[in-house]
Amino acid sequence: MIRAHELRKTYAEVHALDGVSFDVPGGEVVGLLGPNGAGKSTTMKILTGFLYADSGEVTIDGQVVDPERPDSKRAIGYLPETTPLYPRMRVAEYLGFIGRMHGMTRGARRDALERVTTDCGLVGWEARRIGTLSKGYRQRVGLAQALFSDPKVLVLDEPTSGLDPAEITRIRALIQRLGETKTILLSTHALAEVQETCSRVIILAAGRVVADGSTLDLAEAESVEVHVTLGTEGASRDVAVSVLGAVEGVGAVRVLGTDGAGRFALALSVTERFGASKRIAEVVRAEGWELFELRHDLPSLERVFLRRTEARAEATDEVRA
Amino acid sequence: MRGVTAIFHREFGGALSSPVAWVVTVLLILVLHAAFFFLGFPVGDRALPAFWTGSTASLDALFAWLPVFFAVLAPALTMGAWAEERRAGTDELLLTLPVHTRALVFGKFLAAWLLLGTITTISVLPVAWMVASIGPLDWGTVWGGLLGAWLLAAVCTAIGLATSALAREELVAFLVAAVLLIGLWSAGLFVRVLPGPLAEFAWYASPALHFLESGARGVFDLRDLAYYGLFVGGGLLFNVSVVEGRRYS
Repeated sequence: MIRAHELRKTYAEVHALDGVSFDVPGGEVVGLLGPNGAGKSTTMKILTGFLYADSGEVTIDGQVVDPERPDSKRAIGYLPETTPLYPRMRVAEYLGFIGRMHGMTRGARRDALERVTTDCGLVGWEARRIGTLSKGYRQRVGLAQALFSDPKVLVLDEPTSGLDPAEITRIRALIQRLGETKTILLSTHALAEVQETCSRVIILAAGRVVADGSTLDLAEAESVEVHVTLGTEGASRDVAVSVLGAVEGVGAVRVLGTDGAGRFALALSVTERFGASKRIAEVVRAEGWELFELRHDLPSLERVFLRRTEARAEATDEVRA
Repeated sequence: MRGVTAIFHREFGGALSSPVAWVVTVLLILVLHAAFFFLGFPVGDRALPAFWTGSTASLDALFAWLPVFFAVLAPALTMGAWAEERRAGTDELLLTLPVHTRALVFGKFLAAWLLLGTITTISVLPVAWMVASIGPLDWGTVWGGLLGAWLLAAVCTAIGLATSALAREELVAFLVAAVLLIGLWSAGLFVRVLPGPLAEFAWYASPALHFLESGARGVFDLRDLAYYGLFVGGGLLFNVSVVEGRRYS
């Protein structure tokens, strides 16, 4: 549904995008992550036809996005980062204006107004001037604007930025619901939001895609640990460490602690978590030890994010040096 | 062209709902009327007496002031057209909607032009009726002058919009457009001191020739229409290219 191919964009001497490519199939909710200046907003501005890329191509719903061809932007609903609105307009008047810009008939605009005000919790607020609304309600109006033409693709640039927790929860729930029928690309700094709403994550750093996959796949691609709590009945802790360290697929073994009942917890670095876990359990059983706990400790999205973006920053620094 | 009527309605409605626009317009109309009745047009070779001292049933002094009136009012009405969109970030949204940039520019132009033209008509007609009730007014020159005023308003609107597209701040847009329009108007005043070809150019570039010497006297020729067409077309094309150019920045 969304295809970005080798996007490049330079501002003055800075490479904002340096060959960004990704595909988002229909019906997927994808989070676009990255530190400030990574190129998220530039990517979104190119996807939505606001900016021209220096090179590369964007295809949305089978159409190459070209700012000069308005019809190529029909399938896109866009909420920019700053939620730009006209404060003197009333909510219904503003949404009607958006509908007319999409070439919608009067009847279609009336139906769309009912649909989006219901979806975005704006029923009863249609006659209010936008300038008198709270930030949360303005964000709802911004979302309603993006949804008004019932687009197949939604591009949301930091849709929950600056909102209170209740409003964030409400908007995340709305995004999840919309994700059942639409393709959504959302950028955010809130990693919890990505874990809650997105089936896939694309991480940008210094204008490049440094990670692309489900949160689980990305975590598994980092080092995974298996945490085991054992009772060894006579065998020393060092023996257990040495026996388990020799299991195929297990790397370093760390002792996490020992309790008063002779149980101790170990953290085993593994390269492939399910196979290694099975072999660890078999060894524990063969040794006659008691297994109280065996669980996988996946790195958090924060850790994945930091590792990937820091690695890219180091690579960029080396190139500059 | 999709989007023209939508943007026209938004801009026109926005201007009508702005109290500042109403206050500025009323003040300028009062100043224009005061100049016509009590001051006349004491500038340049064609100095005209005030209506109360001239004892002539003519709107010449009123029309003579219109280019100056437009040089202030057109920038005031157009300064926010793009500068405000840029400041508020709404241009990003507008430029991602499925409409041509030229539709956005044309819609904004139509709204500002209609507003300026309507204000001009409202300023001129009551004065014309009043003058006609006192003496024998040539209504042909009134309608011709109004038509010329609408055409001149189109030129001033196009220039105002183009400067608004260039500027980030409304005040800067206003000042640049006002200076340009005053410069255009005053070009005709320097004809005597400028050397031959330059004087001729200044005379042709000034609204003095194409409005005061033609439309305001109820006479138009092709050169006048070409003058208006050149400025309006050039201004709008420049406006489109500035807005489109921002997509590359």
